[in-house]
Amino acid sequence: MSETTDAVPGASSDGAVLRTDGVTKRFGGLTAVDDVDVEVSQGEIVGLIGPNGAGKSTLFNCITGTLSADEGHVYLQGRDVTGWPEHKIARAGLGRMFQETRIFGNMTVRKNLLLAAQEGGASVGNLLRTPDEDLVHRTDELLDRVDLGGLADTRAGRLSFGQQKLIEFAMELMSEPDLLLMDEPAGGINPSMLENLISYIRTANEREEATIFLVEHNMDFVMEIAERIYVLAHGERIAEGTPEEIRNDQRVLDAYLGRE
Amino acid sequence: MTAAESEGDGLLRTVVPPGQVRRLFRFCDAHGWTLLVVGAVIGALPPLVGLEPGYYMTVISEMFLFTVLALSWDVIGGQTGYPSFGNMAFFGIGAYVTAILVEDFAVGFPVAMVAAGILAVAFAAVIGVVVLRLRGHYFAIATLGVLLAAQQISRNLDVTGGASGKILLEVPTGTVFYYLFFGVMIAEIAVVYYLTNTRFGFILNAIRDDEAKATAMGFNTTYYKTAAWMLAALFTGLAGGGFSLFNTFVDPQTAYNGAWNVELIVMAFLGGSGTVVGPIIGAFGLHTVIEVVETAFVGWQLVLLGVAIIVTVIAFPQGIVGTLREYASTMEYYERGGMAAEGTDDEEVTAGE
Repeated sequence: MSETTDAVPGASSDGAVLRTDGVTKRFGGLTAVDDVDVEVSQGEIVGLIGPNGAGKSTLFNCITGTLSADEGHVYLQGRDVTGWPEHKIARAGLGRMFQETRIFGNMTVRKNLLLAAQEGGASVGNLLRTPDEDLVHRTDELLDRVDLGGLADTRAGRLSFGQQKLIEFAMELMSEPDLLLMDEPAGGINPSMLENLISYIRTANEREEATIFLVEHNMDFVMEIAERIYVLAHGERIAEGTPEEIRNDQRVLDAYLGRE
Repeated sequence: MTAAESEGDGLLRTVVPPGQVRRLFRFCDAHGWTLLVVGAVIGALPPLVGLEPGYYMTVISEMFLFTVLALSWDVIGGQTGYPSFGNMAFFGIGAYVTAILVEDFAVGFPVAMVAAGILAVAFAAVIGVVVLRLRGHYFAIATLGVLLAAQQISRNLDVTGGASGKILLEVPTGTVFYYLFFGVMIAEIAVVYYLTNTRFGFILNAIRDDEAKATAMGFNTTYYKTAAWMLAALFTGLAGGGFSLFNTFVDPQTAYNGAWNVELIVMAFLGGSGTVVGPIIGAFGLHTVIEVVETAFVGWQLVLLGVAIIVTVIAFPQGIVGTLREYASTMEYYERGGMAAEGTDDEEVTAGE
């Protein structure tokens, strides 16, 4: 397990968008996440892998504020967001794509994207304004980028699962988060759609629109797209490195094969 | 698409082609404000061209009143997804506040009505903080509890006249009520229609569809739900205020009428909840049918209400407007092979959903 060497609590390393410092979460007698440190720097795509029950989703939930960590701290852009309510952390620049696709099914595709745009915040004036042309134009551009142009006025729940996944991704780009957490983005979508998704994520990352921290079970996907990978097992961080290093790490192989 | 939906679409297709339905919706979306102005002008005409106070004027005024109630319910129940069985509590508060102020404090009718609206909103804010933490069935039962509690409290207070209620002797003419309810209705339609295409409206719809996701996106949903609940209370309270004089008396049974609460929910569902025009169609349609039944088959109106609920929930849970919109949208999606076709002819943000 890596040791954090920051002299000042809460200060981040250069360019770190996310840093967790000794995050621990227990459910009764079970320690689901045990003293975990991770760091994601500006512009990176970082993967988080581990066998079932390793604590990946629990760590995500502690970062987003869905669960409160029993110990440790979460820093977003250097700010200590530990204990903040979920919506406030999201406002602070954290986007999240869920394991099961979560879009607003009874709204049109365009309204889903317009909702995701964060311009103007929650002022009364902004809340009572109808979307301007620039914003509508941006939704169209984003939909075109994920090859869903023309479906803007379709009810989002009518689309296929893969299309809904792309809508959710486009929504996250629309909100321009400092960090995007993706929980199993490859789950349940067909191979050709998966290739598209990889290309869309790469493009967004190259255009400096997205710093990404993702949980994924599909090893080919995560090895192809992530620059660095953290590995969790039994709630502990057992490895960190490039995809190549992780692929050849004996502790990782043991964890996946169930060896202690 | 399920088998039931396919059969439903097939039946609809023999009556009206999807293209025509699409064109109708696009026309309405693009010209919503014009249609509202035209509707307002047409609605204002009848008393000017000979409609006298009497049975027909009363029935039409009641339609306006029920439209206000159904649309108010839909703001919280349809647009935000919180099925309230307690909206009539706001109505009762509005009715009693107006009756007390006019009868006991000699306050002018319009001022009393405004006070009724404000107090209903304040009540909604206080109650909302508690009950809007619940969802689904729990929320529905809690709001029903609020309605019953408000009814019991009114029954036991001196200021509200106890079980006998309050009688109002000096009331305006039927024409005044016609324009009063009509004005409140048009104002509410305009407000709700505008809001459906604002960020606030989108957030309410998002809460309805997936509140956890809306929270994860950074929205403090409690704040928005409470605002929607207060908006519903404002118009329901105003309607209650007008009703107290329109009815010439207020008692706990009439003011906190649980059957009416069900009726206005059915109106919203029948027309299409979560849309602006749905509750309007539902209120006018169902109230017309109930009036006819009440006249021709006295005592059967509640049976009709029960049948209407069953038929609506089973046959078309999205209501008239929702079913037609879904039909048009689905057919467009499948006509295009499940993917978008280039050059869609509707680039405008749809409004009035």
